[in-house]
Amino acid sequence: MRIPPRRIARQTGIAWTAATALALVAPILITIWGAFSHSEFYGQRSEGAPVQGTADLFRYVLGIWGEALLHSAALVAAVVPLALLLGAPAAYAFRRRPFPGARWLESAALAPLALPGIALAVALIETAGGAPRFLLLVAGHLAYTVPLVLKTVGNALSGFDPALESAAKALGAPPVETTRRIVLPLLVPSLVLAALLVFAVSWGEFNVSFLLATPLLQTFPAALYSTYTTNSFPVAAAATIVFLLPVVPALLAIQALGGEEFHRGLPA
Amino acid sequence: MRSGAAARPWAGALLALPLLLFLCGLVLWPMGRLAAAAFAGPGAPALRAVLAAGRYRTALGHSLLLSAAAALAAVALSLVPAWILARERFRGRDLLRTAISLPLTFSGVLVGFLMIVLLGRIGAVPKLLELLTGRPFLASLAYTPAGLFLAYLYFEVPRAVVTLESAFRRFPWELDAAARTLGAGPFARLTRVVLPLAAPALRSTLAITFSASMGSFGVALLLSRRFSVAPLEVYTELTGFLNDAVAGALCLVLAVMTLAVDRLLGGGRE
Repeated sequence: MRIPPRRIARQTGIAWTAATALALVAPILITIWGAFSHSEFYGQRSEGAPVQGTADLFRYVLGIWGEALLHSAALVAAVVPLALLLGAPAAYAFRRRPFPGARWLESAALAPLALPGIALAVALIETAGGAPRFLLLVAGHLAYTVPLVLKTVGNALSGFDPALESAAKALGAPPVETTRRIVLPLLVPSLVLAALLVFAVSWGEFNVSFLLATPLLQTFPAALYSTYTTNSFPVAAAATIVFLLPVVPALLAIQALGGEEFHRGLPA
Repeated sequence: MRSGAAARPWAGALLALPLLLFLCGLVLWPMGRLAAAAFAGPGAPALRAVLAAGRYRTALGHSLLLSAAAALAAVALSLVPAWILARERFRGRDLLRTAISLPLTFSGVLVGFLMIVLLGRIGAVPKLLELLTGRPFLASLAYTPAGLFLAYLYFEVPRAVVTLESAFRRFPWELDAAARTLGAGPFARLTRVVLPLAAPALRSTLAITFSASMGSFGVALLLSRRFSVAPLEVYTELTGFLNDAVAGALCLVLAVMTLAVDRLLGGGRE
């Protein structure tokens, strides 16, 4: 029996893809297993007696990193609306109301994507080290998340006909009414996608946050670093799961909206 | 529409004004100050220290080498999965795509930890090899330059697959079909049609993965033992030696190198 070469190529390609996916997911599965199993396979617990059982493990993690978790939540709560407020009107201006220097401004706003996070963190500390650290964290996160809003909203605006707006205008609708009843409803999917992307990125951001964090104001990824260097494997695994819990649903939603290609260019 | 835009050019400028103020005040101004500080003093001693032979230049060289190698390897490994996800229909395709793009949201420290889970002192791979062969091969590989390279691949492959997949979806396959109709062989089609058409996508994928690696800090912070990379050196200067001038100069050179390669490869961010 001869199998056509085209089919062999296809099957090999699918196997290659599956192997790639498996290699990327395997360490996550091992980590989850590590948080829910209690074998001493990965060595002694350094935390001593109090941690016994999965519920206890997560209680312990929330006990030591609860505050960092709250800081990350507050940061995300500030960054998501601010990124949308800065990015969405500007994206509209770039696509529909171009003005002198608009192209320059747009590429300047996208440039931070290729700028090492640590460089911006150092620059912010040197320039405004006296400002409240929370504000510097917000600024650093905005620099890396506003580009996502510009790209998603800009892409959506390129996708629908400006004639819809002209028609509303020709029919006598004032600009506010056109924005409220035509533009915004059409942009809702892209605004939701942008919010999800900003959330996912801001929640996981480390390069800027770690340097800007202070002992009293740590973000959760910065806390993860402490956990990875000081705690035992089950505690580190449990903290990782706490970190992943909000990100994975956000990622699934981003995929459902077809948006994963927008955050491919982000610094790791 | 046109007349409206022409009649009120200030409307667009007004809408973008908050972004302009933010960029000038909190990105361009601080980066400008950083550059100015690096050039400060007679003969710019901080910048000179960074560019002279020594640990700073070594770290910059390591960053450049590691990022370039990882970007090339990631693109090479991602061509087939991106092609399959873009072109083939089969059961489980969405699951595979989700699995591959999951690490896009992981920060560097998390990737470093996952690498320790796999290839640390008592990682899963050496443990498995010990069960099979009786010796824990590859133990502690995570802490070597090879481990760092694998960790960079871990966060670059998802970026490369997602970028290449969307490029392959938009690829004008009818041109390849036309070349075949005109009698071109597979090799001629690859070198004269497919590769020239795919070159921009490949270049922009390289740009994306390269700049992600140049700025990556968390992975090296967790994994690197003796092999230093530039962001790590910045961190040491800043927190260990309180040497702000050198840290700033290092940041500047790192940023300029990253942005230069990014531009050279065609921006990569349409």
